[in-house]
Amino acid sequence: MKHLVQRFFDAQRPHFTEGGRLARLHPFFEAMETVFFAPADTTRIGPHVRDSLDVKRFMALVIVCLLPHLFFGMYNVGYQSLIAVGRAPDFLPACFIGLKVVLPMVIVTYAVGFFWEILFAAVRRHTISEGLFVTCMLFPLTLPPTTPLWQVALGITFGIVIGKEVFGGTGRNFLNPALTGRAFLFFAYPARMSGDAVWIHTGGQAVVDGFTAATPLAVAAAAEPPGPLVETLNGAQYDFWTLFLGRIPGSIGETSTLLCLAGAAVLILMGIASYRTIIGGVIGVLATGWLLNLFASPGGSPWLGISPFHHLAMGGIAFGLAYMATDPVSSPDMEPVRWIYGFLIGALTVMIRVFNPAFPEGAMLSILFMNVFAPLLDHFALKVRLRRRIANT
Amino acid sequence: MNLIRVSKGHYLPLEGRPATDLDVLPKPSRVAVLPERIPFVKPKLMVKEADAVSIGTPLFHDKRHPRATFLSPGGGVVEAIEFGPRRVIRKIVIRLAETETAAAFPRFAEGDLRQTDRGTLVEALLDGGLWPLLRALPYRDYPDPETEPPAIIVTLADDEPFKPDPAVYLAGRQDLFGYGMQVLARLAPQVFVLAPPNGGGPLQAVDTWITHTVSGPYPALDPGVFVYHTRRSPADNRAWFVSGQDVLLIAALLRDGRYPTERIVALGGPAAGRRRHAAVRMGAPLKPLADLGGEASVRCIVGGVLRGFTGEADGYFGYFETALNLVPAGDHREFMALVRPGYRKATFSRAFLSVLNRDTMPMDCNLHGELRPCVACNACSRVCPVEILPQLTYKSLLADDIEEALAHGLLDCVECGLCSYVCPAKIELCDHLTRAKRRYYQEQTAA
Repeated sequence: MKHLVQRFFDAQRPHFTEGGRLARLHPFFEAMETVFFAPADTTRIGPHVRDSLDVKRFMALVIVCLLPHLFFGMYNVGYQSLIAVGRAPDFLPACFIGLKVVLPMVIVTYAVGFFWEILFAAVRRHTISEGLFVTCMLFPLTLPPTTPLWQVALGITFGIVIGKEVFGGTGRNFLNPALTGRAFLFFAYPARMSGDAVWIHTGGQAVVDGFTAATPLAVAAAAEPPGPLVETLNGAQYDFWTLFLGRIPGSIGETSTLLCLAGAAVLILMGIASYRTIIGGVIGVLATGWLLNLFASPGGSPWLGISPFHHLAMGGIAFGLAYMATDPVSSPDMEPVRWIYGFLIGALTVMIRVFNPAFPEGAMLSILFMNVFAPLLDHFALKVRLRRRIANT
Repeated sequence: MNLIRVSKGHYLPLEGRPATDLDVLPKPSRVAVLPERIPFVKPKLMVKEADAVSIGTPLFHDKRHPRATFLSPGGGVVEAIEFGPRRVIRKIVIRLAETETAAAFPRFAEGDLRQTDRGTLVEALLDGGLWPLLRALPYRDYPDPETEPPAIIVTLADDEPFKPDPAVYLAGRQDLFGYGMQVLARLAPQVFVLAPPNGGGPLQAVDTWITHTVSGPYPALDPGVFVYHTRRSPADNRAWFVSGQDVLLIAALLRDGRYPTERIVALGGPAAGRRRHAAVRMGAPLKPLADLGGEASVRCIVGGVLRGFTGEADGYFGYFETALNLVPAGDHREFMALVRPGYRKATFSRAFLSVLNRDTMPMDCNLHGELRPCVACNACSRVCPVEILPQLTYKSLLADDIEEALAHGLLDCVECGLCSYVCPAKIELCDHLTRAKRRYYQEQTAA
């Protein structure tokens, strides 16, 4: 096995090195080869021994945590589609439909993402950074299943080029690239990114009579007073456990709060994601939701009275907190302020949902908003920290 | 005795700790002095090739402090003076004579030390070639003889893998150590002696001298970490330090009036055969210890595996180094390294199964990755023993903002190498910080 792979790469190497036909694609070759063979580079200066962890494994672990979302997303897309057209939602047909819808989106994302990354890597003469793999995995999972492929390509282009490369590439972007691309599509093509028509792939077939494809957030936003919102949701078959498990219409990868919880737990245990951001975010959602409960009245907005846990189970906030807010590059560097950063993301998400009728979901916007404020939080945290230090100059 | 607990740092689970048995190696045919490995020094040669030298003959002095001389650790003939790029003096090799002659130095009786003038002791150390064993924080250059420090810190043990065990080098020499402590007490108003916990066992003999017990992961026993945790004012940052074994050398010089030539070194590391301690000559060749058996893919690290330098197989010990660690070179491509669970892979992170493994692990000199942009994982900030934020300091240095870096605590950096060790992006953080520090020091002293 090892020798076969070795021989394959050895055979391809001449094409990608100086003078070969594909010399400009050397970053691509290297990225592929190092997936199978760790580089042989040794330390040139002390310390002579180094930690076994590298960025490649760091990012690969995030992708491993995202794979359940991808698979469940595929199944769910198919499941919702079968319900919508009035067929029995059996497991295998559902998976098959989901595969047919989601796989092209993932492939297009990776192809276009790689194109831009290689272009910039070749021009700047550096290697491909593994953050790209995560960005390209995250991006399609945030999209509605009906997004046309050209929009997928456009979105990831915007995310990679404007969200990341124009600032100097990985490590210098102040916004999360996947969310930047998603936000671009959201504002450029609102009809394709929101409303009730986009969340379920029907493949051109007619939906059954009386079927509504509204997401829980849309149902909640449209609810009329009086009456508790939970009952409205339950009436639309969105009881808490359905929301939590995630067999609901929505963006491909974000529907299952259970999977987000599991993924967040794994990332925290492995020390990849900041527990401060995630727990801070959960506290932010629950605290704000609970605070708004205090203002709920029978005649007021039904949103005010919904249980804080519903806020966590609905929409993309769980996914956003686990995978988007924890992007270390666009988070604050100082660990203590990550509590505040996470908390505000959670709080803002709930505020946008409850008070802003234009946006049914606030997770994406609040994360991007807090990305912008991360340097400010760092600035103050650093000031406080340095004040305690005895000067040494 | 005060207890200091250091929480930050990292215990390196490297296998190959030297045993405490002590070999006495036979007299080598050659010894050498490596001016290149003494930081900051600007050597001015005082001998030529083919000159006859005795033990204690000055070989060169430092142009910055002409009184600071470096002496020959052996008697014989200067066989070669090797230069490197830009005429840096790599090594001065001395072929030892059958019977060596030794220069005589002033002797001080133990009872007279209290009455001896501080200046006289400083002179004796400068002439005796051992003044540069004292070093001054924060730059770790040897101190200006004109100055007086707020304190001298004696570090009995060094927790970097792997350095000599104090129980080995102190065995039977507690009187000499006591003499050395009295010398240090004349040089500074305060002398602190740091020891690891359980020093009461093997270090019982010098227990009366120990002032602080320091517990914590590497580099808790570093003098810079001690200063960081105990300083009350900025003046404390200028303390001097000296290693316990060097106190013995200083004591031997002043008590016996002879330039001391014996060092006890540790031989360790995963690739070392019989890991042990050995009594060797100062400037001894590495070869008798580094018995590689023809295996080329082993790196000889003179000093610890984090701060030491790469020695050639025919190299020598430097002025400060007291350890030789042999580590596999690791210059091979590991298949499927990305997906291995890694039960035996050493890491600061929790991304391998080795979090469940309390055992020591084999390690090599492989970089385990490639250079990448910083992804702000904060591992360096979590590991830094003096709570610098290395990634932010590094970024401010890239922007050429030395003021910002100083405010972050650049000068507190103890050059332990842990930030480079843990970095998943394989950025040479410690090297960036150390070089910035040195540059700043040179600017300061040039002015």
